[in-house]
Amino acid sequence: MKTINYVLTGLGGQGILFMTKIFATAALKKGYSILGAETHGMAQRGGSVVSHLRIGKSQSSLIRAGAADFLLSMDESEAYRYLPYLKKGGKLFANAPSDTFPDDRVTAYLKKQDIETRAMEAAKTAMALGGPRSTNLAMVAFYAAFGVGPLNADDLRTTVVKMSPGPFKETNLKIFDACYETGRKMVV
Amino acid sequence: MKEEFLLGNGVMALGILEAGCQIMTSYPGTPSSEILPEVVRFSKASNLNTSIEWSINEKVAFDNAFAAAISGKRACCCMKMVGLNVAADSFMSAAYIGNIGGLVIISCDDPGPHSSQTEQDSRLMARLGKVPVLDPSSPEEAREMIKFAFDLSEEFQVPVMVRPAIRVCHARQNVKYGTLKSNLTKADFKKEPTRWASTPKFRFLQHKALNKKHLKISEKFNTLTPFNMHTLEKGKSYPFGVVTGGVPSSVVQDIFKEYQRDDIPVLKLGAPYPFPEKLGDIFMDACDKVLVIEETDTVIEYMLRDKKKTLGRLSGHVPMEGELVPEKIEGILNKALSDCGLSVLSDYDCGQEAFSLVNDLALPIRKPTLCPGCPHRASFYSIRKALPKAIFPSDIGCYTLGSNLGVVDTVLDMGAGITMASGFWNAYIQDDVKKPIVATMGDSTFFHSGITGLINAVYNNSRFIFVILDNHITAMTGMQPAITQGDRVDGSKGNAISLETIVKGCGINYLKVCDPFDTKNMIKIVKNASRYVNDPDGGIAVIISRHPCVIGFKDEAIPEKIPVKITDDCNDCGFCRTRFECPALVHDEENERTVINKTLCAECGVCIQICPQGAIQKA
Repeated sequence: MKTINYVLTGLGGQGILFMTKIFATAALKKGYSILGAETHGMAQRGGSVVSHLRIGKSQSSLIRAGAADFLLSMDESEAYRYLPYLKKGGKLFANAPSDTFPDDRVTAYLKKQDIETRAMEAAKTAMALGGPRSTNLAMVAFYAAFGVGPLNADDLRTTVVKMSPGPFKETNLKIFDACYETGRKMVV
Repeated sequence: MKEEFLLGNGVMALGILEAGCQIMTSYPGTPSSEILPEVVRFSKASNLNTSIEWSINEKVAFDNAFAAAISGKRACCCMKMVGLNVAADSFMSAAYIGNIGGLVIISCDDPGPHSSQTEQDSRLMARLGKVPVLDPSSPEEAREMIKFAFDLSEEFQVPVMVRPAIRVCHARQNVKYGTLKSNLTKADFKKEPTRWASTPKFRFLQHKALNKKHLKISEKFNTLTPFNMHTLEKGKSYPFGVVTGGVPSSVVQDIFKEYQRDDIPVLKLGAPYPFPEKLGDIFMDACDKVLVIEETDTVIEYMLRDKKKTLGRLSGHVPMEGELVPEKIEGILNKALSDCGLSVLSDYDCGQEAFSLVNDLALPIRKPTLCPGCPHRASFYSIRKALPKAIFPSDIGCYTLGSNLGVVDTVLDMGAGITMASGFWNAYIQDDVKKPIVATMGDSTFFHSGITGLINAVYNNSRFIFVILDNHITAMTGMQPAITQGDRVDGSKGNAISLETIVKGCGINYLKVCDPFDTKNMIKIVKNASRYVNDPDGGIAVIISRHPCVIGFKDEAIPEKIPVKITDDCNDCGFCRTRFECPALVHDEENERTVINKTLCAECGVCIQICPQGAIQKA
């Protein structure tokens, strides 16, 4: 299999490392090689946090700018900040209002690069369903709805259930299903 | 066999225990911090009796490991690269004296830098200390190198350094567990004063013997596949080749594979020092030009003899600073190939168009900040409120971020919060100016490097206020237990060390303890301390500002949640956002006022005390 590159981003405290682990655990279960790069230390304190995840064989943990297949962002600004990492034909999933995202100033670039964007207010949905800290898995579910990449919705949903700590299992599942549904409605 | 998606530091911990390491010491520092806790985790899971400690600083960690190694045991000491500076005194002597049991030093570099004060290259320290060094390109290679390092260290009775860069430490990889063990070697220190306590005359002889060892190790490194290897075809010559090592070598490999450029030979030097001269010569002889891609300094580049053939930092092809991320490396390769009149890999613009487009969006600058509910924020607020005109020397830790509140003026290295305070005092008092100075430092840093500076300041009659920010934990590097609590890394109890006793023992006669969450009280305490400092019979005043870390001790830090609201009295003066700088206090531009971000708010309630309009109230 060709290496599939994921760039996952958001703000410190949003649970990027947990999001990375969801993808990695699901990929590991399917027997893929995985290699990732994380942010720790000073850079983690409230700043912009990014995680690179490469599914399939590779040597380097970092994804080159212009080489990511998928960009998932838990924050609208961070979605723009890491846009250069997406390759031609890459796909962007953002926690942002679908009616205003993306910004007019990047649409020409997106068109030229043949980059498809999908947005939903995943944080709002997570919050409404009682999981203000579950934007991470909400975005995983939203992404899963589009059926792109080596991991399907079932793989990811099973992993989320398995990885959610006991008291959060039910809420997390509700959030996952709601965001998955929102995504499904966008697939025509 | 068990398989796990492990952090690079965890993969290295596997290597350490697969090598049967018996003694493990460290002081935390990004990107090295997780190595030792992972050794604890694996050692416990396999019921090993590995002796593991967080030492008080890197020098102490090094000396502990060294003593174990000369007693015949396998010992490992790990740290971040600036930590090696702290251990440098010991490190420089260690190779001369040598060891019996394998002694491996893991010094983690931070090209970027992401979480450090410098971009120093530990391979240069290795050279200075005449310590052989291995430079892993991935977590798995680091694991193999650590095992090899123990063997090499025992074979030649010399310490060996492994220097993983941050992309090895904080990579994650799926790995399978091997057999973990702790060797059964008994401590058996054999007295030999001419070796272990050698005088300069014997040091000269030891130096000579060390140089001989180096020749042999260099010879070994010439054929050390796969750590050192080239992809030349026998008898073939090439117009261009790449010499690389460590993390950049993995990027180069990926890029050449992607563009199918097996016409460009690569010399990978994962064991660059003592330099494998023959291997270097073979590669240089086969290529008309070679490009050196290494992080972060010119180590290999300097050691290659024919500079006329060499492209790299000295020729301006490789930047002198910053991390060599993949897009940069592709750009470097394209430029070098084009300068040599050869076909480039791609017309790739290194993401420049996209990066400049993003730059034009003027996205919010995300600077690191103290966490909501952090007790340091309350301390800094009160210090500035009490003595707004003071100089504020500070130190390394989460509280470096007090710079956001205007209460951190200097950060040099661990311990300089105090030593620079006395330095500022001396500089001003020479001009008869009694400059107010408030130094800040965390509890862990105080134990690491602060105590000697405080004794020096007392002895030499300096005058300043020194605030110890005691949050019961080493927070920035990932919540390591604090000496004041007596908790050891394996969960066992050591002896708690009292800050008060140490401070008094340094000769301090004025010591106050306060809880920073009561800002009114702390402001008063700082002002009183200032009076003592200025009193002819006064001296250095020490304040212990004590409150547990809000991340490490969630329940204890905020025992009673105080939800807050902002009333219509808010006149958008911005005082709370700039002077208290809590991420949960957000500007609502539309309504021209401050609002609370409820997701971020820790409900510590401290901000109620600081609003000049009294507009922040208990909800």
